[in-house]
Amino acid sequence: MNGYAGRILRVDLSTRKITHIPTKKYEPWGGGHGMGSAIFFDLVKDKTIDGFDPGNVVTIMTSPLTGTLVPAAAGRTEVQGIGVQSHPIGWFTRSNFGGRFSAMLKFAGWDGIVIEGKADRPVWLDIRNDKVAIQDAGPLWGRDTRETQQKIWGLVTGGQDSGDWMDPGPGETRESTTQKPAVLTIGPAGENLSRLACLIHDAGNAAGQGGFGAVWGSKNLKAISVIGTGAIKVHDPKGLMAARLWQKAHYAFDLEHLKTTGGSFDFQSPPVPITMWRGGRPRNDQRPQACLGCHSGCRGRYDDAAGNEVSCFPSVFYWDAKSLDIQRRASDLLNRHGLNAVELIYGLLYLTLMNRFGLLTRSGIPDCPLDFSDLGSLEFVEQFLKMMTFGDDGKGGQSAFGRDVSQGFVRAAEKWGCLGSDLATGILMFPYWGLPIHKEPRAQVYWGYGTILGDRDINEHDLDWIKWDASLAKVYGRPPILPAAEVVKVVTDKMVPYQGDTRMLDFSESNIYSEHMAKLVSWHRYYTRFWKQSLLFCDTRWPDFVNLYAPDKIGSTGEAEPKFFNAVTGNNFSFLDGINLGRKIWNLDQAIWTLQGRHRDMVHFADFIYTKKGIHVDLPEAYMPGMEDGVWDYYNYTPRTLDRKKFDEFKTIFYRLQGWDPESGYPTRATLDSLGLGYVAAELDKKGKLGRPGT
Amino acid sequence: MPGEKTSQKSEERAVSRRNFLKHTGTIILVAGNSWLLPVSGMAADSKTDPGIPASDGYLLVDLKKCQGCASCMLACSLVHEGAASLSLSRIQIIQNSFEHFPRDIAIGQCRQCVAPACVEACPEDAITADKRFGNVRMIDLKKCIGCGACAEACPYIPSRSHLAPHESFGGQNKARKCDLCSRAPFHWDAAGGGPEGKQACVAVCPVGAIRMTRKIPTQKGDAGYQVNLRDGNWKRLGYQDS
Repeated sequence: MNGYAGRILRVDLSTRKITHIPTKKYEPWGGGHGMGSAIFFDLVKDKTIDGFDPGNVVTIMTSPLTGTLVPAAAGRTEVQGIGVQSHPIGWFTRSNFGGRFSAMLKFAGWDGIVIEGKADRPVWLDIRNDKVAIQDAGPLWGRDTRETQQKIWGLVTGGQDSGDWMDPGPGETRESTTQKPAVLTIGPAGENLSRLACLIHDAGNAAGQGGFGAVWGSKNLKAISVIGTGAIKVHDPKGLMAARLWQKAHYAFDLEHLKTTGGSFDFQSPPVPITMWRGGRPRNDQRPQACLGCHSGCRGRYDDAAGNEVSCFPSVFYWDAKSLDIQRRASDLLNRHGLNAVELIYGLLYLTLMNRFGLLTRSGIPDCPLDFSDLGSLEFVEQFLKMMTFGDDGKGGQSAFGRDVSQGFVRAAEKWGCLGSDLATGILMFPYWGLPIHKEPRAQVYWGYGTILGDRDINEHDLDWIKWDASLAKVYGRPPILPAAEVVKVVTDKMVPYQGDTRMLDFSESNIYSEHMAKLVSWHRYYTRFWKQSLLFCDTRWPDFVNLYAPDKIGSTGEAEPKFFNAVTGNNFSFLDGINLGRKIWNLDQAIWTLQGRHRDMVHFADFIYTKKGIHVDLPEAYMPGMEDGVWDYYNYTPRTLDRKKFDEFKTIFYRLQGWDPESGYPTRATLDSLGLGYVAAELDKKGKLGRPGT
Repeated sequence: MPGEKTSQKSEERAVSRRNFLKHTGTIILVAGNSWLLPVSGMAADSKTDPGIPASDGYLLVDLKKCQGCASCMLACSLVHEGAASLSLSRIQIIQNSFEHFPRDIAIGQCRQCVAPACVEACPEDAITADKRFGNVRMIDLKKCIGCGACAEACPYIPSRSHLAPHESFGGQNKARKCDLCSRAPFHWDAAGGGPEGKQACVAVCPVGAIRMTRKIPTQKGDAGYQVNLRDGNWKRLGYQDS
């Protein structure tokens, strides 16, 4: 099997049985998310269980591309299972992370790991090629994510000096390695079942969403370590090398002819850390650092080692920090505790605003142990992080307030009796499924729609650069990369099978509830479900829609992805094949959510989205393409609300486009059968959750 | 720290460590050959053996420029073995995510030593300065018996020659070392590799942290092989060029 290792590791922590699943069984799903959803559906009979139930199955999947030379598709790992973060239902959800874990897992001979059950005491999984052991994690429990990894490195290498050839232990292979084990671990937050706990790998790779840290904690699983010395067979080694070099020559940054000097979310970005520390880019001596196989690193390592491998939201965390140094240390502390950055950013904002407006003392809210006069100091954030980790006052003492917020800010507000009012005013900026805002749902509607129609903040930046470029063009008084009329054409030309409909990128008021918009949201789901979350093309670098180095600035997406996939696997897959498989995976996910209890009546934003105008969270003004009076241009669509009734009608349009029953949002038998998901329809039918025929 | 390890190993390490027995098992018992065990203190900067001509090509690396993507390792194994692997790569990138830059990355590339200890140590004369390929120190896999003497003799950590099973030889252990892509069966370019051609690691490195030179680097210490490849363009990205 080219690209694949051939086996998926299956570990039952309750019985401590270690078996495997042949990858061939799930190969039609591609890898990553597709495989994870399919495996979950097969193994979890009762989809209504809570994420903390030992019956919850967590999948940790690679793709046939990971560990190979495919640019920005070699390093990521997809984690799935029933999450514990979203509200009111912990949806079956996903998170993924970069680094070198997935490659190492493949080199060890595994395409993924399936975790079931619950261990009777803390354990860690020790994978050395084909040899897998469940080890006692007693000495590791309580340690932060950095200490845990360093300790495990020592245990696996037998304390051998770093960088020398090492035989990882008896097994079928006899290669040695100079590499440290790749470790994925929880910190104290996960151990203490904070719903905001995440999984951390190396210094800054994180599976941040879904509360998987707490799910692992509930299973008494501290960490997974993998060291692999094997090789991944590739169908066309020469072709893959040639494709990599061609992609580099035509679409990647060129140091001799730089077109940009800042880090950006696209293929052509030069390797510059994408950090948003408020003090700016640290002036320390530093290097860019990339996940395995990536052509352009998006994070860095510094001469003071503060903020190593931090990028994006973990660098936005603690934006009230008094100094750049404090903020960088706060990012590190966040990662060491193993907590989700985005919820803590907006959660701390919520507390700060409540404090400023005298709302922390409302009846029903327990005493807050934080001293906001010290906001901005290192001591403040240390206390805050400990509070979120241990559910106490952040100093080792009991606190009902700390206990409540460590379970998430929406759950806390609900407990305190102020959820309704705070979501109405928008002081609690958590517009969907109890999750924090990310991008402006009222302007970048596809983002909010994709989120509310799915399980979590989509965190898919495929189209975000359009807004950034257009908005910064206005700010700096320079022309955008392409005029609006051209950008909508270049981008939608690639959106097979909907190519040709430029109105998909029309964000004007008259169009954001239309079928054009439903097609955009649909295409976005399908592309990301397969190419990005199953084959694991990284969100920071893919898709390549518009590329400054390319003729006519037309990027390589649509051609590049299938070319690389086929060079590795020997398949004859087209871009559209991938979009269609993405649709199939999306339908499977919707079926799982339906079984969990989803109904269209639940699918609505928090009140403030309908009643308060957008404020945008990236920029004060966000320009998006739109057609107004027949003229394409970039318009500032931030200061508007969504219309509750029109959004409800939009749902009907979207469900019809999916082939789901618009009355409920349930998938229909006809649609599922057409996708080869008849067995899924059968289960929905048994539970009375099949969409009505003929709808 | 990994960075310090690419210098010469100590006398004690040369004598005390050894895994090649683990790999070869019975090789010591193959009778008759009076091949030399690695002698402590054997150095890579010893005088040129007039019988071993210097290589036409050398890999230089910039430890501060490297972005730690290990694309070089994946490309190396791909063009040599047709499969992606870190263990089969002839260049090794060793990292510690938590370490201070620049000590967070060490690069172990073969130095094509002027006085190659591996060539001298091989009991089967399987490693030679191959004049067909600019005197690059190359392993003849048919002659290699997988004894690991070359790995033991290499004065650097990790040893630049290392053993691994070879598919084409029924899984028998064979040594691997950098040949500047002289004989890479899956080379992507019709012109091929070697000092006259293209090296996979040099071609794929996204930031240009590896360069091949035809000039013999200073043999003593690291300065000859660990160089500054950063320029004004690198500075434009906000990095230091010194």
